[in-house]
Amino acid sequence: MTGQTRRGVMKKAAGTVLSIMLGASLLAGCGSGDKEQSAGASGEAGGSKERVTLKVEVFDRGNSPSPHTITNNWLTQYVQKEFGDPNNIDVQYVPVQRSEETTKLNVLMASASDVPDIVFVYDSSVFFRYAQQGGLTDVGELLNQYGTNLKSYLGDDTLKFGQLEGKQFAIPGKRAITGRYASYIRQDWLDKLGMKAPTTTDELYETLKAFKEKDPGGLGDKNIPMGMALAPAQYETLIYSFIKPVKGDLTYSQRYELPLHEGFKDAMQFMNKLYNEGLMSKDFSLDEEKEQLGKDIQNGNVGFWSEDVDNLFYADGTLDNLTANVPGSKVTPIDAYSNPNEGGKHIKSRYGSNGMYIMIPKSSKRAAEAVKYLDWMSTGNNIINIYNGVEGENYEMKDGIPVLKDDATQEMKDRVYNGGDMAIISNGKAIGDQAKNEAAWIAGFPANNQEMLRKSIDLANTDTVGPIVFNGPIEAEAKYGTALNDKLKVIMVQSTMAKPDQFEAVYDREMQDFMNIGGSELKKELEAALQTLN
Amino acid sequence: MTKATTYLNETSGSKRRSSYIKRYWQLYALLSLPIIYFLIFRYGPMYGVQIAFKDFNLFQGINGSEWIGLDAFREVFAMNDFYITLRNTFMLNFLDLIVSFPAPIILAIMLYEIRSGWFKKFSQTILYIPHFISWVIIGGIVYQLFGTQSGMVNEVLRSLGFEAIPFLTDKSSWLITYLFTGVWQSAGWGTILYLAALTGVNKELFEAADVDGATRLKKIWHITLPSIKPTIITLLILNLGKMVSIGFDRPYIIGNTAVREYSDVLSTFVYRIGLEAGQYTLATVVGLFQAIVGLVFIVGSNYISKKVTGDGIL
Repeated sequence: MTGQTRRGVMKKAAGTVLSIMLGASLLAGCGSGDKEQSAGASGEAGGSKERVTLKVEVFDRGNSPSPHTITNNWLTQYVQKEFGDPNNIDVQYVPVQRSEETTKLNVLMASASDVPDIVFVYDSSVFFRYAQQGGLTDVGELLNQYGTNLKSYLGDDTLKFGQLEGKQFAIPGKRAITGRYASYIRQDWLDKLGMKAPTTTDELYETLKAFKEKDPGGLGDKNIPMGMALAPAQYETLIYSFIKPVKGDLTYSQRYELPLHEGFKDAMQFMNKLYNEGLMSKDFSLDEEKEQLGKDIQNGNVGFWSEDVDNLFYADGTLDNLTANVPGSKVTPIDAYSNPNEGGKHIKSRYGSNGMYIMIPKSSKRAAEAVKYLDWMSTGNNIINIYNGVEGENYEMKDGIPVLKDDATQEMKDRVYNGGDMAIISNGKAIGDQAKNEAAWIAGFPANNQEMLRKSIDLANTDTVGPIVFNGPIEAEAKYGTALNDKLKVIMVQSTMAKPDQFEAVYDREMQDFMNIGGSELKKELEAALQTLN
Repeated sequence: MTKATTYLNETSGSKRRSSYIKRYWQLYALLSLPIIYFLIFRYGPMYGVQIAFKDFNLFQGINGSEWIGLDAFREVFAMNDFYITLRNTFMLNFLDLIVSFPAPIILAIMLYEIRSGWFKKFSQTILYIPHFISWVIIGGIVYQLFGTQSGMVNEVLRSLGFEAIPFLTDKSSWLITYLFTGVWQSAGWGTILYLAALTGVNKELFEAADVDGATRLKKIWHITLPSIKPTIITLLILNLGKMVSIGFDRPYIIGNTAVREYSDVLSTFVYRIGLEAGQYTLATVVGLFQAIVGLVFIVGSNYISKKVTGDGIL
């Protein structure tokens, strides 16, 4: 009996608690909603007189040197002083981890109140998806009103990348340098074997075999003739040297569209051969961040490898470490891959002329200020300062090129540690034409590495193939892109690691899968879009 | 309730009730904390389940998106990846049950048999530690140890003249790596419940067995194991109920592209299509499906438990 009554009481009590809580949460909901609305209203009514806050996304690579933080450092203070204060704007930075670029952005975009006023993304399909779902501000008018400097800085060609059905939904950054990858060989290994640097893919294969059999580094089990990772700089360089571009020196832009090219299978076959003969990194499939590869190169275990054109040459970077670890080691940039399907040319990928897509969410009430901010960045010496610091302390101008001063203290150098991530309208130091940009870029590296970087860039610019720009979005890219990108990795890993006699079967199976999960639809759409270009 | 109201007359009942609440209100206040937790974190998010039936547009919100009926379900059930991840989820959970479930039982019995007090406490502490290490860190350790070319284990194997074993990149070897990392991480912590059950065992039973000349193994078989049987069965049922749900961290971190065929499970699948590709509707469908199958399993195992042991959790 008492049990029964007690249960009744409990039910009632629970009911009371429940209703109180629901009531409270409803009230809380209303409260915050009201606040937001009133703030928005007053902001609009006050216009430029009232101080407003502009929120800007910034990549966080977790490398802020003390005492700087990602949201409060020399550069944020520079922006506040030069742009914020004169315009009565508080500029606030919203950090997003570099590796979570799209994931975090998807979450941010879903919340109308937390999303920064300026966001950006490299992936065009993400941009198109946001634009199509009506989540972005059309900045066409705002650009005419507040962004004339920015427009002339970027130019119509670059701006075109951010348009959808005639509307300017994104402001594409400008890319300073379009060369991407270069390859390197251990010259001291070659010298020891008395071999010449390979100039074709076949010669490269012979060289790698010699590296393995004769072990010029005396490394035994640690010997890695060719360094490989499951990262674009390594596999794209290899794959591009087999595929036939679809349109002269242009081809499909997305990585996961590589399997749709003639010659892709040859590339996989070559990787399979290298892997099974023990000529390349055994654990490449685990190394998506190139971490292991970097270690192996620095320890002097790798004979030949490909990398992003700048990657080796930073102060205390891979090359400096290798020189310190292995006395007598010598690295030479070479163009070893030749493409049998493209007349033996050294085909490699190059970037389009645009950088990332800078977007202003529709929910932003600070669209005008956002455009003003980007416009300010494009004026005067701002890009140069954001990249290099203070003139006279960090750098000096020589022939219109900012040259870093060697005697700058560490504290001065730390000012601009994330300059590249702050200067969002300029991917790389875009201060003029390509030659000038390259010179400016090279001038920012340690003096002892500049010559080799110059060589790397020249190789990276040889026989390049760029991305085709279609007139509109490719729907299948937005729909299947992520799945296909994932599948591309599976194809590469599975067909590389298959036993040679099983290669055909494994490759066919994985490609079949690729086509089934969206590849064939993508192919159809791309081919149709290609027709409309001519 | 009906019985109670007929038995008690109204006035005395409500009086009793109010004095009862007065006396015990603190307990109810305490109870409100877990209730709040469940409302906010368990029931609140259910509002979003409707995304599964809508063409979700990030910028229109849940209410602004259009209803599409079961279209998204059809799309998911037509995806090959869905079946692969479903199969893997069951496979990994099932293997985990076979390998990881007995481990803490054996370990608990071994601990129970240890006579030296300080050594027992010391080993328990050592065994609990892995439970407190996050999977991200465990993943780092595993990759350092088991890499084919530069992993420490393989370096030792090679120096002893054996072939290197691709612990992480060969599908079957990876399964073993996955399972035993799980055992390493959870077995120690899992012993707690069994050890608690063992403290309740009457010592006289062991003394009587000693008098009868039973060996150690005999004592374990006839006294220790039967006394923790109820605990074993309860935990087994709970584990069966979780067959379709799988944590995200472990398969995501220990898994890699080379073994994707085995390591891709429902939770990583949801992460990929939902957060990475931004197809929220499809991700919600998979999540909802997972919840429904999970419910079936819980109710089913509860039913079986009631039949077998006469006791259930619902």
